Amino acid sequence: MRNKWNEQLFIAMFIAAVGGVVIVALGLGEHWISPWNPSNNMESVILWDIRWPRILTAFAVGGLLALAGAWFQVLLGNPLAEPYVLGVAGSAAVGAVSGMMIFPDSVWVTSMGAFIGAWVGIAAVLSFSHLGPTRLLLAGVVLAALWGAVLMLLMAMLPERGLMLAYAWMMGDLSHSSLPIWLLLLVWLGALCCGLVLSQSLDKLLLGERHAEALGVDVSSLRKKLLLLASAVTAVAVTAAGTIGFIGLVVPHLMRLLFGSLHKVVLLASAFGGGLLLIIADTAARTVISPAELPVGVLTAVIGVPVFLWLLLRRR
Amino acid sequence: MLAIKNLSLKRANKLLFSSLEMQAEARQIVVVLGPNGAGKSTLLLALFAMLEPASGEVLLENKDVQDYSRHDLSRLITWQGDLPPTEFGLTVEQRLLLANDGNDIKEALLYMDLEQLQHRVLGELSSGERQRVEIAATMVRDNPIWLMDEPTAHLDMRHQVDCLQLMKQEAKEGRLIFTVLHDLQQAAAVADVVVLLDGKGGVEVAEAEVMLTAARLEPVFGVTLKGHGRELMPVYNGEIE
Repeated sequence: MRNKWNEQLFIAMFIAAVGGVVIVALGLGEHWISPWNPSNNMESVILWDIRWPRILTAFAVGGLLALAGAWFQVLLGNPLAEPYVLGVAGSAAVGAVSGMMIFPDSVWVTSMGAFIGAWVGIAAVLSFSHLGPTRLLLAGVVLAALWGAVLMLLMAMLPERGLMLAYAWMMGDLSHSSLPIWLLLLVWLGALCCGLVLSQSLDKLLLGERHAEALGVDVSSLRKKLLLLASAVTAVAVTAAGTIGFIGLVVPHLMRLLFGSLHKVVLLASAFGGGLLLIIADTAARTVISPAELPVGVLTAVIGVPVFLWLLLRRR
Repeated sequence: MLAIKNLSLKRANKLLFSSLEMQAEARQIVVVLGPNGAGKSTLLLALFAMLEPASGEVLLENKDVQDYSRHDLSRLITWQGDLPPTEFGLTVEQRLLLANDGNDIKEALLYMDLEQLQHRVLGELSSGERQRVEIAATMVRDNPIWLMDEPTAHLDMRHQVDCLQLMKQEAKEGRLIFTVLHDLQQAAAVADVVVLLDGKGGVEVAEAEVMLTAARLEPVFGVTLKGHGRELMPVYNGEIE
């Protein structure tokens, strides 16, 4: 039905949508600045030094989270899986908060802590990767609970100002990314390419492990690759922007409902669609109560959930 | 084509059967019979190296199946087993295209009466319809060996007949088919060779006419059978002869 999509047209459509949204997102802010002719130097600084990097960060992080979500869903054979399902968000948060305790005023140390924390969490999960999907999921959930407990303990020890910072980090913040933007975009592109290379094997994995093996897929090697890929991508996204929820869960399903389940399309659409949704959410987060800001994690839920529920209901 | 040497299989440390010894050639239909839990499906899995035997080996063209790569094995053996999960909304057409590696799926769709269902999502189909999709997915893979685990399960009578006819036809054209069946009439209709697992570790292999008799099957299944050959069937409790 929808598998005859012309790929170039498909990608062109997404690029056009992203382009349109980026222009609007650039202009919107505490007050509107036309991206074509900023009226003074100050406005041009706001446009290109503040809003533009933030938009690019949102695009890359959103795309990465959506890709990771799509991978975890097929890897674990569970539609409820998302990038943080195996406790990577928890371990990253433990790392980030530990960083805040030692150097409260360094964003860079927080990011470093998050990155190391994410990989500690991934290493813990990887040691269970030989288990089947259900047990791997259970191991992840239990580890997540452990990280949650450690996080509680750490936060109880934080001073009040540190607590605010920790909460802000956990709800996601795209304005302080300490990773260079070119690196984020490069990771985004690399992840998408890896995903597309694996897409046919991923499709076969949708039929279950035995069917996939019978169709010539080396499932245990595919699992390892996928687990590593999805985890690495999650670690990068968390390091750049904290833990932003819902994108990884909702976007891949949204794209499946719109374009069908074949991974070539799902992954392409998720990489762009996740970025698109996070740009929109972040733009809303910094404009609706400007000059103050809402946490972007709240907005992704507020925008993502109703759209998702509406699509679910519409299919009946 | 396929040689099974001294094969013993275990499941969760319980010995399913030991020392299965047999040869199977193209154009044969081998029916695996036995009570629940005797290891019929497990035997099929062992034939394409989905599990390691407790002892013995399965040789495909004189090479142990364990030594083939997944990719090479998938070009020689087709497996039809449990119905795939449906959470992610593949359509019938997409499911068949995943199986076929580029061949045309029209003929299979037509044979299994699936044209009307072609664009439907697997999760919206009944078990019988999904089973037909699985049979069609077997057809679109042009492999010399078919392993079919209860191919007639869930099917209505007409599609059961279609399915058995397909198996006979394909065997006649040169395929080797291993199949698990529960229905004695169906087994008698297609079997050249019968592998009988008794559920207590024993296994026997013989030609269908020799094996499909009351004397051989009654002790294994613990039922009373009447009739011969195609008319062999169980006697129900309280039934008047």
